[in-house]
Amino acid sequence: MSDIILNVQQLHKDYVGEVNYKALKGIDFQLKRNEFVSVMGPSGSGKTTFLNCISTIDRPTNGSMTINQKDPYELNDEDLAKFRRSELGFVFQDFNLVHTLTVEENILLPLTLDAVNGKEMTSRLAEVVKFLGIEEIMKKRTFEISGGQKQRVAIARAVIHQPSLLLADEPTGNLDSKAANSVMTLFQSIHETFQTSLLMVTHDPYVASFAERVIFMQDGMLYNEIQKGDHKQQFYQEIVDTLTFLGGGYHEL
Amino acid sequence: MSFNHIVIQNIVRDKCTYISYFLSSVFSILVFFFFLIIAFHPMMEAIDPNSTLGIVMILCSMIVYIFSFVFIIYSMLAFLKKKTKSLGVFIISGASTKQVQKMVFRENMLIAFTATITAIVVGLIVSPLFLMVVKNILEADSFGMYVPVQAIAMTFILFSVLFLIVSKITTRFIKKEEAVQLLKADVTQEKLIRPTPWRLLLSILVSAVLLLPLKVSPDVVESLGIVYIIMLFISLLMTIYIVLTQGIWLTIRRLQKSASYYKKTNMLFVSNLQAKGNSHAHVIYLLSILLLAVFVTTSVLYSSYYNVEENTEAVYPYSFQYISHPNNPIEKEQQDIEFMETTLEQTEGDVYAYQSAFKTDEDRRIGFLSNTHFNALGTHEAITLSDNEYYVVAGNAGVMPNTDTIQDYVDDPLQYVGLEERMILVSGFRAVYYVIPDAIYDALNYPEYHVFAYELKDWTEKRDVAEKIEAQLMTESGERYVSSKISLYVDELFVKRVIFFIGFMLSLIFLSAAMSILYFYLQTSLAGEKEKYLGMRKIGLSMKEMRVIVTRELSILIFVPFTIAAMLLFTVLFSIRDALSPAFFQMTTVGVGIILLLFTMSFFIIRKAYFKKLVE
Repeated sequence: MSDIILNVQQLHKDYVGEVNYKALKGIDFQLKRNEFVSVMGPSGSGKTTFLNCISTIDRPTNGSMTINQKDPYELNDEDLAKFRRSELGFVFQDFNLVHTLTVEENILLPLTLDAVNGKEMTSRLAEVVKFLGIEEIMKKRTFEISGGQKQRVAIARAVIHQPSLLLADEPTGNLDSKAANSVMTLFQSIHETFQTSLLMVTHDPYVASFAERVIFMQDGMLYNEIQKGDHKQQFYQEIVDTLTFLGGGYHEL
Repeated sequence: MSFNHIVIQNIVRDKCTYISYFLSSVFSILVFFFFLIIAFHPMMEAIDPNSTLGIVMILCSMIVYIFSFVFIIYSMLAFLKKKTKSLGVFIISGASTKQVQKMVFRENMLIAFTATITAIVVGLIVSPLFLMVVKNILEADSFGMYVPVQAIAMTFILFSVLFLIVSKITTRFIKKEEAVQLLKADVTQEKLIRPTPWRLLLSILVSAVLLLPLKVSPDVVESLGIVYIIMLFISLLMTIYIVLTQGIWLTIRRLQKSASYYKKTNMLFVSNLQAKGNSHAHVIYLLSILLLAVFVTTSVLYSSYYNVEENTEAVYPYSFQYISHPNNPIEKEQQDIEFMETTLEQTEGDVYAYQSAFKTDEDRRIGFLSNTHFNALGTHEAITLSDNEYYVVAGNAGVMPNTDTIQDYVDDPLQYVGLEERMILVSGFRAVYYVIPDAIYDALNYPEYHVFAYELKDWTEKRDVAEKIEAQLMTESGERYVSSKISLYVDELFVKRVIFFIGFMLSLIFLSAAMSILYFYLQTSLAGEKEKYLGMRKIGLSMKEMRVIVTRELSILIFVPFTIAAMLLFTVLFSIRDALSPAFFQMTTVGVGIILLLFTMSFFIIRKAYFKKLVE
């Protein structure tokens, strides 16, 4: 098995419309197995487009991309949906929970679509729920729980089928700092416990500092990357410095 | 930027929201306008407003108008609901509820005015074609083109009033809190259906109690009259609603408990059904009732059109029938008969002539026929009576005659041998006829009427002969009574055609109203659904799985109402099956089949369009 889980080469994305816009201008990126990487950059730098291309929500205009040596863009719609369900896990800023379902049903959704048998469903559910500490809210509806809880549920849904790659788009964007901190701690422990590779887009340097490596984007290109050293505080400072240099509206406190 | 400017920009910049409301308004007005074009047609003046046809016309205009009223209120409320969120923006930016009401009122009136004008213009453009179709359907050559000034004026006035009232009323429904609430919450939850076993039981009981006298004692029904009918109607409507919602609740519950709930897309489908249970039930209910109305109008009206020939023959047995009163001078009678026979000889095909007579007790409207006279009327099988026997013939179609009164006229009691229910002469001329042995007949001391009857082959096509004869020979009370099933047939056919046409228009209105309600419903829920499916597709719902869910949901919305309406229709028909001919069942089944076909077709079209919109 290769050591690289995600391999992106010369990824381009153009938006054609009244005004043509090149969102991604050739990105080369590799994510190692069991690596935690944050993507940062000012607004409009293309980080969400980048993530959307990887998550197969957006189709890139040019370039190649493989996840686990498989090119998802060669798959038809049905296989692609299956691929998403089995290989990828998603966590979104707006949680993206199905509000007609209960919390429990939301978490089970990927498994029901794959017609996993009931016994396995129950055992996997129990495992995930225990890990995330959301036992009490299982029978509740999505609008009866708080934002932090919603994101926990979304994370539970994203990891219940043990994806090889977990993608997160501003997972703390809608949360207060306390909830954000607990969600990030959770990500870290998922990363450590389940050996899941993680790619996360964020604009918050504190959140980004939970990762092992941070890549910076500007104008649709990769600009820089920083590896985490021994000290989280120092890592955080480096991230803030780079952002200030990029001029995305970040100022030193 | 003036207030009116906002109003106009609201409409112009948000066409999609307004267009469906506008179109359904145009549609209702157009149908009403067409209706008036026929109703006010110069040819229609010939129709007596007190005749069946006149009453049907007036009743139908009223139904169409009331229906437009209800339908426009419904569209307006659906439209307001769709707009509530954007109204919330106005309210939160500082507009008072009064100002928002004023704004919505002006918007509505602007749309109403445009819709009325559009409908009238479209109506005028299409009316020559429409009148041509009417002309062909009714086979009335006089149904030419005319300028429907009255129809234009009336449509304009009635709908202006209607819109004014409806806009005034519906704008009161704008609630400040609700609009702001909608703005704040990203997800609003509608109330789930609750089990209400007692209400269900009660409603079924009340309906059953009300239905009982209909089957058991029709006299009670008659004495209670219209109040009873209205009560029964309302109670049935409510029962259907409660049974429907409870049925949906039970179905959802069973589906949730079933083992396959966690299999594939079942969970998504069922939970969606549950979350939208109430609004789904609403739509299904409305569609079922409208469809039932479509079924009833088409089948009842079409079947009445279907049996004209037999119905005519049942009341007027002969192509021509001439009954001469005892006071009719013999010369005049001979002259008339001669004229009739010469005219008939000129026509193609066989002519059968019958001559007979009967005596009558004018006071009791009883006719007496001798055995010979009865056999001389060719439409029935000949009978032979013994000296002490008598035979009874009904005088009014569909009414059982008294079979005993003959005993009042004879010295020795006679023996009853049989009854002929079919008419031997024009229905209603006498209450009953007694066929008695010739000897007894001769002894009766009552005035004698002479009967001359003619039967033509292929009589339904001999309209010209009937016109020729009837132009010359008219019924003169106290002298001669002339009647022809041919002209009755022509008249009846025309009436039935008009009624059928009206029925067809009505069912068209109901059908398209049903479709618009469905359209509104899907339109209103589209935005939310789109977002939901987009989110689910991100986490790995394939298009195929999405199609499965959408197909199931749409088929529930389309075919459940159809099934309910068809079941109700056939239940009603079955319970009154004795009064119906097999042809009626056939026609109804064909009609329901055609509508099923239409529904299946529209199901595929709607599914395609809706799915396309969802993944757009």
